Amino acid sequence: MAKMSKWLSLAMAGALAFSLTACGGKADEGSASSGAGTGGDKAGTVKEKNVTITFQNIYPDPTDPKNKLMNKLVKQYESEHPNIKIELDSLNTDQQKLKLKTQAASKEVPDITVVNPAAQMQPFVEAKLLAPLDDMLDQNGLRGTFQDGLLDWYSFDGHTYAVPDGNNIGVVYYNKELFEKGGVQVPTTFEEMVDVVKTLKSKGIQPMAIGEKDTWTGSFLFMNMLLRTNNGPGFLKDVLDKKKTFEDPAFKEAVDAFQNLIQAGAFQEGVTSFDYNAGENLFKTGKAAMYFMGTWATGGIETSSVNGKVGVFKFPTINGKGNPDEFMLAPGSAFAISADSKHLDETKAFLNWFMLNFPKEAFEAKGAVGIGQKVDGDFKAAGYSDMAMEVLNLFKDVKGGDLAFDNTMNPGTAQAHLASIQNLFVQKKDSAEVAKEHQSAFEANNK
Amino acid sequence: MNVLKVSRWTIAAFVLPCLILYAGIVFVPILVSMYSGLLEWNGIGESRFIGFENFKNLFFHDPVFWPSVRRTLLFAVFSMAEIPIALLVAILLKRYIRRPNFLVSSYFLPVILSVVVVGQLWKTIYNPASMGGMLNQVLEAVGLGSWTHEWLTDPSVAMYSLYFVALWQYLGYHTLIQYTGILNVPEEIYEAARIDGADGFAADRYITFPNIIPIFKISIVLAFIGSLQAFDMVMVMTGGGPAHATDVISTHMYNMSFLSMKYGYGSSIAACLVVLCLAATFLINLIFNKLEKRFS
Repeated sequence: MAKMSKWLSLAMAGALAFSLTACGGKADEGSASSGAGTGGDKAGTVKEKNVTITFQNIYPDPTDPKNKLMNKLVKQYESEHPNIKIELDSLNTDQQKLKLKTQAASKEVPDITVVNPAAQMQPFVEAKLLAPLDDMLDQNGLRGTFQDGLLDWYSFDGHTYAVPDGNNIGVVYYNKELFEKGGVQVPTTFEEMVDVVKTLKSKGIQPMAIGEKDTWTGSFLFMNMLLRTNNGPGFLKDVLDKKKTFEDPAFKEAVDAFQNLIQAGAFQEGVTSFDYNAGENLFKTGKAAMYFMGTWATGGIETSSVNGKVGVFKFPTINGKGNPDEFMLAPGSAFAISADSKHLDETKAFLNWFMLNFPKEAFEAKGAVGIGQKVDGDFKAAGYSDMAMEVLNLFKDVKGGDLAFDNTMNPGTAQAHLASIQNLFVQKKDSAEVAKEHQSAFEANNK
Repeated sequence: MNVLKVSRWTIAAFVLPCLILYAGIVFVPILVSMYSGLLEWNGIGESRFIGFENFKNLFFHDPVFWPSVRRTLLFAVFSMAEIPIALLVAILLKRYIRRPNFLVSSYFLPVILSVVVVGQLWKTIYNPASMGGMLNQVLEAVGLGSWTHEWLTDPSVAMYSLYFVALWQYLGYHTLIQYTGILNVPEEIYEAARIDGADGFAADRYITFPNIIPIFKISIVLAFIGSLQAFDMVMVMTGGGPAHATDVISTHMYNMSFLSMKYGYGSSIAACLVVLCLAATFLINLIFNKLEKRFS
């Protein structure tokens, strides 16, 4: 009996396993044949083969003008090219960064993806994951639509690997109503700015807002101060070229100035637990008087309750140093094409068409402030707000500047820097010590 | 085994598919990640074999690693210290409440909530009073203004604020486990003991506790391993900040692997975490085996 049941159970197990695999096999066959069937049908009517292009992007928010214009352009392209299907993979910025890294590790980069300029995209270029886009840029004059010099941030060894959707600068937004209530004027020097902070504070008005849980926000401001104390751009490049170290006086001066601002009570309480949106919301709801951010924030401020009360000014000089016409430059995230894309030609043709139509559509959707391409058209007549006009005028004054820290230094050094700057928001530190922290992190990550 | 009347081979044949699956999704990745820990690799480009260099840096030159280990272990200690409290609550529920189902469910409620929801909720509670933080406002209202803190951003208290939320969230979970354990102790034993004069806490000491040691052990292991892997709560509430003051092992690993793009280095941290988990489980089992022997 025991023997009998043994063989019986083995047989049953075998049958079970077999039926499972058989099922799997059948399902596969079925889908394959049906796929071929539909493919055959279409091929009969349109002569070209069917192509699906995966389009990873960072416009998931349906209220964002860029999301609308992307959907519109994609639909239009699909109707004009019935053999091409564009599959959208819309993610938040941080999620997309993470997903792309995971995909890159297994060499499954989507046909079109999003990368960030300079040092941030360098590892992807070095791993040969991105296709050079020079031929695409020369088609239909796409190269000429970009602002002069902008593509350099996305070029390595003479090849361009990505095309940006934006180009922004760092400015200080301020709430005119709160400034009036506090009886203060727009500061023209950093010293005045600290005084403005103190005056506003004494009158119970929150001087500045920042979302420092997302550490890059504080770093962006700090780097603007370094741009001033260094009397011009290029400090990080000099460090990379070993011409300077972080223990340079300009760096320490920037740390001291930054701490002055913090110690004057510029930022809201509990600042390191505010994420980017929460920080920005303080300004957008009229609870803070000043907000240092890239001009990409313009659209969001326009649709908030403080619209119409907001002005912008350039970050002022520090101890008489620096030129206010030099800005923190933020060449935007950019579309790149996977080098291993199965439909390289079709993808390039689509992206070429997409970018050619991008400025016009963005202009109409009132999202053209801070895009990376030249726009013809009268902004004022198109109904752009006064603040948007002010921002556009600042763009005309730009005389160079620096990139954000994480676009210049490798990720390891950048993370150490971000943590070190975040720390200044919660405790006062000796600037020499901060400089030393930076230098040792730099050396440890650049062996 | 003989009860089933099947041979070992049959058992093996049935167990094998699951075993392969389990090994494939648990052990293979662990080994792969341990191997990655020996590489210098940014996750996407070329990798370079560097032997134990990553571990050497981790143990001797990383200013964040050891403090993060300390915070993680402290978290584990707090979580384990919570179990006796959960047991006490369970005993009280059993003894004084006739139908404690409603109470048990209420205690269990935070466990069902997503950590992100709990994190956001407590973040608002911990906020400074000027930003509408409830805790600080209550403290001020009752005249304890000097007790107010910037709970999540003051490096010296931030970690404890996080511990508290985690303990609050999981108290109900462990209470439920202990409560179920107590229900499984046969009522006759208590009746017999009552005749012998053991009642109340004496009965708990000599009957309840020895009988639920296995359950107690499960809770302890779950609490320990759970706190070693703590990640989501920290990420939502502080992101490891300010300046690494609330970094635990897993958030440090995340920072290194994905933000600093040192995938190899991150894997070496992961390897340490695995070893720590295994060692702890082994140790806890050892202690409890001794305890069980002593009590039975």
